[in-house]
Amino acid sequence: MSTQQMKGPVNAAMMAGMAALVIGGGLALVNLMSSGHAAFNTGSSGITWGLPVVGYVFFVLTSTGLTFVASLAMVFGIKEFYPIAKRCIWLALVTLVAGFTCLALELGHPFRMLWAIPTSFQYLSPLNWMGLFYAAYMVLLLLKFQKVNGGDWDSSGSRTLGIASFVSVVIAHGTLGGVFGAMAMRPMWYGPIIPLYFLLTAAVSGAAFAVLITYLTYGNESFMPAKVKNLMKGAMPKVFAAVLGIVILAVVSRTMIGLWSNADGLQVWDHVVASPWYWIELILMVAAFFMLLNGGSPFFPSIMVIISLFIGRYEFLISGQAVPLFKGTWVTGLIDYMPSVTEWMIVLLAVGIVLAGWAFGEKSLNLAAEPAEK
Amino acid sequence: MARWGMVIDLDKCTGCQACSTACQMENNRLPGENYQDVLYYTEGKQPTPVLKWFPRPCMHCEEPSCMHVCPTKATFKTEDGVVLIDWNKCIGCKYCMIACPYGVRFYTDEKPLVEPNIKDVYPGEGDLSWNPPYKGPQQDNAHGVGIQPHGVVSKCTFCYHKISKAPKGIADLSNDDAANREFVPACVRTCAPTARYFGDLDNPKSNVSRLISDKRGVRLLDHTGNKPQVYYLSGGAGPAVPSGRGGANKA
Repeated sequence: MSTQQMKGPVNAAMMAGMAALVIGGGLALVNLMSSGHAAFNTGSSGITWGLPVVGYVFFVLTSTGLTFVASLAMVFGIKEFYPIAKRCIWLALVTLVAGFTCLALELGHPFRMLWAIPTSFQYLSPLNWMGLFYAAYMVLLLLKFQKVNGGDWDSSGSRTLGIASFVSVVIAHGTLGGVFGAMAMRPMWYGPIIPLYFLLTAAVSGAAFAVLITYLTYGNESFMPAKVKNLMKGAMPKVFAAVLGIVILAVVSRTMIGLWSNADGLQVWDHVVASPWYWIELILMVAAFFMLLNGGSPFFPSIMVIISLFIGRYEFLISGQAVPLFKGTWVTGLIDYMPSVTEWMIVLLAVGIVLAGWAFGEKSLNLAAEPAEK
Repeated sequence: MARWGMVIDLDKCTGCQACSTACQMENNRLPGENYQDVLYYTEGKQPTPVLKWFPRPCMHCEEPSCMHVCPTKATFKTEDGVVLIDWNKCIGCKYCMIACPYGVRFYTDEKPLVEPNIKDVYPGEGDLSWNPPYKGPQQDNAHGVGIQPHGVVSKCTFCYHKISKAPKGIADLSNDDAANREFVPACVRTCAPTARYFGDLDNPKSNVSRLISDKRGVRLLDHTGNKPQVYYLSGGAGPAVPSGRGGANKA
């Protein structure tokens, strides 16, 4: 499909993306060059992992979810999803780069990481495995996109790459879940089910982004090719709603158990539910779920779910650290945290990467391509 | 090889914070970066609130979760049981700060706790975060000793620059031993009421081993499984509350 047939705001997205790249990247880099990480509102006596890590988790799990959506066609053979498969792979790459950018700007020595992690290979560290599998996933995804971009959808090599990238990202997201789930000293994060929780929320994040970008590409349903329109009116909202329903159950059950338990550290749940952001998160999810069930356009539900998930990621990351360890004099209640301008600019930079990256792909890489009918 | 450990007698600690001050002087720490801190808190409510305090260095755990999560093995345990950071390998991911149950790790680049920012008053040279007019130990980045470079995490070293020079086989490092006083960690050296003891936990004849045994030393947050090598004495007599689940605990 040529770009002329697309009525969506691709050019506007490119402009907005470039603006976000310049403003977010510029301000973040200037502040980081002048003040280092003192430009963050994180601290040894406060919140250690702040908004950039929220951005990292949000975007890499979105990448994970987009690969799940693409895999419905490419790994599991559900042909209805082919019309958006290539776009999903490209977006998975773009969101992965956005997530890695957030992380790189949060690390003290990102370049040292490149040699120190592989040469040290601390097999006990979930972070080591996360780095390994997300790096493998990125390479496999690139190779898969290269194959698909060359028109090779179904050769055994291409299929193998698709399966390998799917498997690698299932493991990668699991190791990311392990980074948090293994932390017995942080009870809000602790538990073997966290990787599964990440899998579910990643899937719903991928579905929401796949819908949003499809609608942004074509403008509205009337400009969509028949296959895409059928997908957006049929299988996609059903899959989206099914996973969203399970995610709502997971969020509610985590909340209930968190509120009920007296385990030290889980008192933070009282604080979580006292925040209007929690209720905005939940209401957006539930409303989106019912909108999807009613058979309407999945466009607005996708936006609602993306906002809800970002709030959820923030709540998970920050609340998980809000109960102080042994800070004594310096922190008596829960730890307060408000991201700094620099931290927000890093997230803006990541959003810019996603918007500009998607628009570039849409204009130059024929993301609407699908395999020829046999 | 010794396995260094510390005993802190809470019945003798007066909360004077001389330990924190000595540590700051010895290791060039700035406000908010206290390797050794005395935490003050209040228990109970009006009209009977009780002010309490709790001295808290790094626990130099037997099973340090900070070491296990470090993806670059920058955090490591020496043969003599001390948990250290190799600043040449630390990538500043701060996962160790997340995984430490005791909150005793510090990232270099943060907003200053007090103004003016001392690091701006004495700007560092090269990669070092500041250049204090008085520098204590010789810079040893591989063991996390000296002035903290940018972008890394630091922690209490048990004054590794001192204890690593102690004669091999010595049971205790104590102020009472004039010949070896120079090797005593700064916080122990300066403790006026002698609430702190430092020695070889593997040596049954060491003073620290005897104190832990005789006075039923307990460890902070023992349920995390980190097994600190810092023990606290409190009360001594009377039955002790089990700190874990008995036989269910790993040896």
